Amino acid sequence: MSKTEAKYFDGQSSASQQITIDFDEGMNELRLQIIANGVLFAWQAKNLEFEQYGNLLEIRNKIYSGALLQIDDKGFSQSFYEAMKQNKRLDIHKRLLNFGFSKLIAIAVCLLGLIILAYFFVLPPVAEKSAALLPDSVDEQIGNMFMESFLKKSNVDTGKSRYLEQFASKLNLKNKKPLHFAVVKSDEVNAFALPNGQIVVYTAILNNMESSDELAALLGHEATHINNRHSTKMLCRNLAGYMIVSLLFSDVNGLMAVLAENAQQLHSLSYSRKFEQEADEEGLKILINNNINPNGMVKLFEQLEKEQKISIPKIISTHPLTKERKENMQKIISESVYVIKSNNNLNSIFEQIKKSNLN
Amino acid sequence: MEATILINYMETSTIQNTNPAQNYRLEFFGKGSEYFSIMIVNWLLTLITIGIYYPWARAKRLRYIYGQTALNNERFHFSGTGQEMFRGFIKIILFYIVIVALYMVLVTAVKLLLLAVLFLYLAILAIIPFAIHGSFRYRMSRTSYRGIRFGYRGNRNELVKNFFKWVLFTILTFGIYSAWLQMNIRSYTHKNIRYGNVEFSNNCSGGDWFFLNLKGYFLTIITLGIYSFWWQRNIFNYYIDNMGMNKDDQKIECHSTATGGGFFKLLVGNVLITIFTLGFGKAWADMRTQRFIFDNVKMTGNINLDEIRQTEEEYTNAFGDDAMDFFEIDLA
Repeated sequence: MSKTEAKYFDGQSSASQQITIDFDEGMNELRLQIIANGVLFAWQAKNLEFEQYGNLLEIRNKIYSGALLQIDDKGFSQSFYEAMKQNKRLDIHKRLLNFGFSKLIAIAVCLLGLIILAYFFVLPPVAEKSAALLPDSVDEQIGNMFMESFLKKSNVDTGKSRYLEQFASKLNLKNKKPLHFAVVKSDEVNAFALPNGQIVVYTAILNNMESSDELAALLGHEATHINNRHSTKMLCRNLAGYMIVSLLFSDVNGLMAVLAENAQQLHSLSYSRKFEQEADEEGLKILINNNINPNGMVKLFEQLEKEQKISIPKIISTHPLTKERKENMQKIISESVYVIKSNNNLNSIFEQIKKSNLN
Repeated sequence: MEATILINYMETSTIQNTNPAQNYRLEFFGKGSEYFSIMIVNWLLTLITIGIYYPWARAKRLRYIYGQTALNNERFHFSGTGQEMFRGFIKIILFYIVIVALYMVLVTAVKLLLLAVLFLYLAILAIIPFAIHGSFRYRMSRTSYRGIRFGYRGNRNELVKNFFKWVLFTILTFGIYSAWLQMNIRSYTHKNIRYGNVEFSNNCSGGDWFFLNLKGYFLTIITLGIYSFWWQRNIFNYYIDNMGMNKDDQKIECHSTATGGGFFKLLVGNVLITIFTLGFGKAWADMRTQRFIFDNVKMTGNINLDEIRQTEEEYTNAFGDDAMDFFEIDLA
């Protein structure tokens, strides 16, 4: 039982009245008894809303919107808060806020740490697993969508593309779905694979090649990206990562931007180092299975090394350094048993590809 | 009989006019540490509920800011709830889905890309006046002071009609009219704000606004950006100096005391605070901004704050006569 003076706004006029209030928890339920102008009425706890500003307590009643009680009494304010707490009238926000500044910061820091750990160690495997749940048609659609817009702004060499198609048909690329090949005229030393089975090779990388082994190595590498659905897995990872980040910063509409951006720049979508390594190693296996000299892969990297005049520190780069990739290949080759059979068929198609260049 | 009423009226108005002119005291009490605690709790709950808590978090934030703003030592109150704002959020999503679906139909089925893009732009443009109207109504109806509610009396159809007229003028004048568009909207909406039986007034005009910004733009370029703080001050002063309130023949006038130096200190300070705390200091920066605003608004007049009557209807039921008002949502 506690009685105190309060200021009362009745919700009809902005003038305040000085009144007496009383709150008793004696009965089953908490209520405020208000005596204003000699009239007594009661506010029930379940209808009350309150704010505390230092010692000042403001109480409102959801039923009489506008009506407002102001009590400037530390003791009353504290016992009212306790009573509301015991009556389970505090929302989760108020209860958490009650922990105090330092405890809140500690909780926030712990949670942030957990999220960061999850982001780096839980998210990648889970997202990659979830990619397996996506049907193949998704891969097809993403790839087709990109290829359509890519073809519009690039110059395809149809003659070379046909030879490349022939070249690939002589290899067992372990592909589960049909692969398509295109050679695009460009000074950029690049090649990429799309999830719909499309492999695009730029003329500059072909021009740098000296043997059919290198081309077979490149196709083996790109085919592995497709066989293992690396694009789709990376897309899932980027999306999931973005979801976590946007959750942290409460930004939802950026999600669409990520989808759009990834679809736009599928060819520059950098795979994780793990995926590149996987493609290198399985590409190498493809070479060995086809009785092609596995050193083609090493030579391919040597070509790439020449192109990369500026080296990027490993921590920044998502691609493993070409030098490291080359050394990894050399190590595996030295440990493998392989038979090389000279394949004149491949060699002559390779010559055709190189030759048609002169036209 | 009529004469008596007239005399009575004159008597009351003379009585009201005898209210002495006074300076009103506008203050902001918010503290960075308190605001930061609220932000952290908001962040935690939003995270745990994978974002669903966001409208509730917003309500908490607004309630704190309103509650820490005081006029003559009485605090303002924001009574909006997360539930209401969540409903608003759902409405926006629904609207978005409908628009995008129609766009997709136009693109894929009808194969009219140009028409589809035109439709998209028009749809977004058309939302604007509805959204302005809805958010003013919502925000004002949920704001109160001394138990008296604010309200917005603007007419939606009038605003929509005028909005399209002003947009058309803007297009026809290659954008020059946009200064008038902005000020016409501002003045229309602000004139329709009520605080009980107090009416708000606003004298903003497109011409003043156009020259203010023209001058600001060129001087900012000439001074390599230094003038931007004074431009900002001019904008703020223009907004505040053209605001006022009337009740019968009593009034309150607002004027700003903000200076370019003050804006420099505020904005540069906020950037430094935010950068050097890796963003965590934003709570403190926000509180500085609020304090700066309310410290620099002076109000003088003869409206007695004890004599305001409740006039604005209560909108407790979202499905009442305003169920048609689809965009009664919080956007500001």
